Amino acid sequence: MTASISPRARTRSNPMRRVTAGLSLALLMSGTVLTASAQEITFWTQPQGDLLAYQDLFDQLTGEFRDQTGINVSVEVINWSVAFNTWLTVAQGGAAPDCADMYWLHSFSGIGAGRFGPMPITEYKDQWPTLEDDFYPGALADVNWNGEFYGIPWRVDIRPVIYRTDFLAEAGIEAPPANWEEIVEQGLALTQRDDNGNVTRWGFAPGNNNPAQTLLPYYWQAGGAMMSEDGKTATIDNEAMRTALKFLQDLVHIHKVTSPEIFEKSADPLTDFTSGMVAINGSSGNAWPVQLDRDYPEMEGTWALALNPEGPENRDSFSGAGYWGVLYGSRDVDACVEWIKFLSTPENMQRISETTGAASPRRSVMSSEFWTDRPWKQVMAETLNYGHTSQHPSSVWTALASPEPGAVIYDLVYNTVIGGADIDAAITEAQARMQAELDRANGS
Amino acid sequence: MTRQKYFFCYAMIAPALILTAVLGIYPMLNSLWMSFVEFDLLRVASFGTPFVGLDNYVAVFSDPRFVQTLLNTILFTVLAVTATLVFGLLLSQILNGTYPGRTALRMLVCVPWFVPPAVASAIWMWLLNTDRSPINFLLHDLGLITSDIRFLTDSATWGPFSIPMMSITAVRVWNGLPFAVIFLLAALQSIPRSLYEAAEVDGASLWQKFWYVTLPSLRPVLAILLTLLVIGGLGSFEINYIMTGGGPQNLTNIMAVYSYQQAFSFYRFDLASAASGIIFIMTGFISVFYLRSQLKKVA
Repeated sequence: MTASISPRARTRSNPMRRVTAGLSLALLMSGTVLTASAQEITFWTQPQGDLLAYQDLFDQLTGEFRDQTGINVSVEVINWSVAFNTWLTVAQGGAAPDCADMYWLHSFSGIGAGRFGPMPITEYKDQWPTLEDDFYPGALADVNWNGEFYGIPWRVDIRPVIYRTDFLAEAGIEAPPANWEEIVEQGLALTQRDDNGNVTRWGFAPGNNNPAQTLLPYYWQAGGAMMSEDGKTATIDNEAMRTALKFLQDLVHIHKVTSPEIFEKSADPLTDFTSGMVAINGSSGNAWPVQLDRDYPEMEGTWALALNPEGPENRDSFSGAGYWGVLYGSRDVDACVEWIKFLSTPENMQRISETTGAASPRRSVMSSEFWTDRPWKQVMAETLNYGHTSQHPSSVWTALASPEPGAVIYDLVYNTVIGGADIDAAITEAQARMQAELDRANGS
Repeated sequence: MTRQKYFFCYAMIAPALILTAVLGIYPMLNSLWMSFVEFDLLRVASFGTPFVGLDNYVAVFSDPRFVQTLLNTILFTVLAVTATLVFGLLLSQILNGTYPGRTALRMLVCVPWFVPPAVASAIWMWLLNTDRSPINFLLHDLGLITSDIRFLTDSATWGPFSIPMMSITAVRVWNGLPFAVIFLLAALQSIPRSLYEAAEVDGASLWQKFWYVTLPSLRPVLAILLTLLVIGGLGSFEINYIMTGGGPQNLTNIMAVYSYQQAFSFYRFDLASAASGIIFIMTGFISVFYLRSQLKKVA
């Protein structure tokens, strides 16, 4: 009688198969152990400058960091066109990386409410013992909120004056405007019209087509502040706001040196500048000089930067910083801090600034040879000393300063500067609306 | 056998139904729910989403900007749909003729359809920029104007009409016209020639042939086209948002743009959902009206 052997039993009894299975299991387990022991963090960032160069740089940086620490950083570059919605989703509990290159700390923190979005790393702040000395204060203001420290600023959007040297020379003007009075004088001298009265060149554009961003430096220069330091009280019903709005309104309606279309969506301040439609822009885009160098070589020698003109109180400049920070839900906060510390060394911030062309909030980078070899770069570095953060201590700030009709500051600026509305009445209404919005953000 | 047949049919349409339910119906219902609760991104973590009934609808209707936006949307839709249908009828008649180069002309008419609305908006923004508009240059050269036309920025109004609204409408018509032309051309080609021959025998003029033969034959297609164009017009977003953002002075703002601004600029998803809810009610009403008329015909 022969006992029948099932195929399964036959398999079990095959010594070769048993060895193979054992080896496979061992390999699988060792792989699992290796995977579990390897530190890996995810990092999201938005591209700056040339995308490929930016990606290459981060490939190098992550490689060097892995060699130094054994920590693997998985970098994902998020397109700017989806960045805002991505961070809005993250702040509401959507999929998030361990750490990231972020912006608009106050709004995203407010929306995250201590559960999602940016996470304070105050207990790690001593990893950067000379932070206040190493970085510009305007940029540091963008990574601190409610007494907490959120990360390291790595790029700064600073907006000095940009002007056409050829137009100024043609009009016999030796230097760009140093104060508000000179803005008007030079604006009048530089504005040109054809025989039918159509403007062929505007003397002065105060900024870009975002009314809030345009207003801010003039309001600060007049001595104003948007809200109290605790972000609970609106402080725009004051003389500084009247002075700033009247100045901008007069540029459009009395002196007629500024286009009434500056705040329309179709307005393109860079094209206006390069096409010769505008002679001076009082608060240029941070990336303009790099773009002019790269895309408009024929304009070499026809433009220059200058410090923002002195207002009644100071010559503050618009400043906004992007920062590296950690997010709630991070799997490895220590590894993230280590990565941010690695990125924020003077050498790496120098490399990043040189590759992206973005001004650095680190003083040593801005005083390096790279940032002093051209006059415009020197102005950019000097302007950082007057940088005033464009962020304000309330989670509703980005809604207040939104470039959309219906936003409090948009309506205030558009209706007065372009619409010619009564400034006092508009400020009173805006103050009430802004207070209501701050109350909303503060949970009242 | 019948049960098997039904099962097969339902199995075949199940993937499409599931996709529609997950990606279309669920978000729509969720959005409707959000319009009846407080859903303020800045407060949701602390206060949750309490039920507020019709408060969000009251809030949007109390906002003068929304009321103007609602009227703008209706005006924009009426103008765009009317112009698209009129020009569509005219162009489809021309393209239905027999002459050399007809195929090339048909291709040319379809070109705007190949341009995504976002790209079309960017192109037209440049074409209609006050200081750089080639249209203004041409009109100057022809001596027809002495000052630039501010196509997208002139805030002067004549009743509900303004130059920016007309400009935006023109871009919408330009972008949507091929869709109407293709619909109508297909319908024109299905009209039997014998009907025209009979009309000719009866001594009908060109206009009479159009009025008594073409138009009645096109009525079913026109009804579908009208419904689709009106629904598309009420929910239109890209062109207005990209070209003017609703400006100047809210003159070109429409409900979808208002809704987007409330949600993504002001973090008020509740008010955005209420505005979207109103678009939903309007488009739903049109769809129901259309479906009822179709069902009556079947019956």
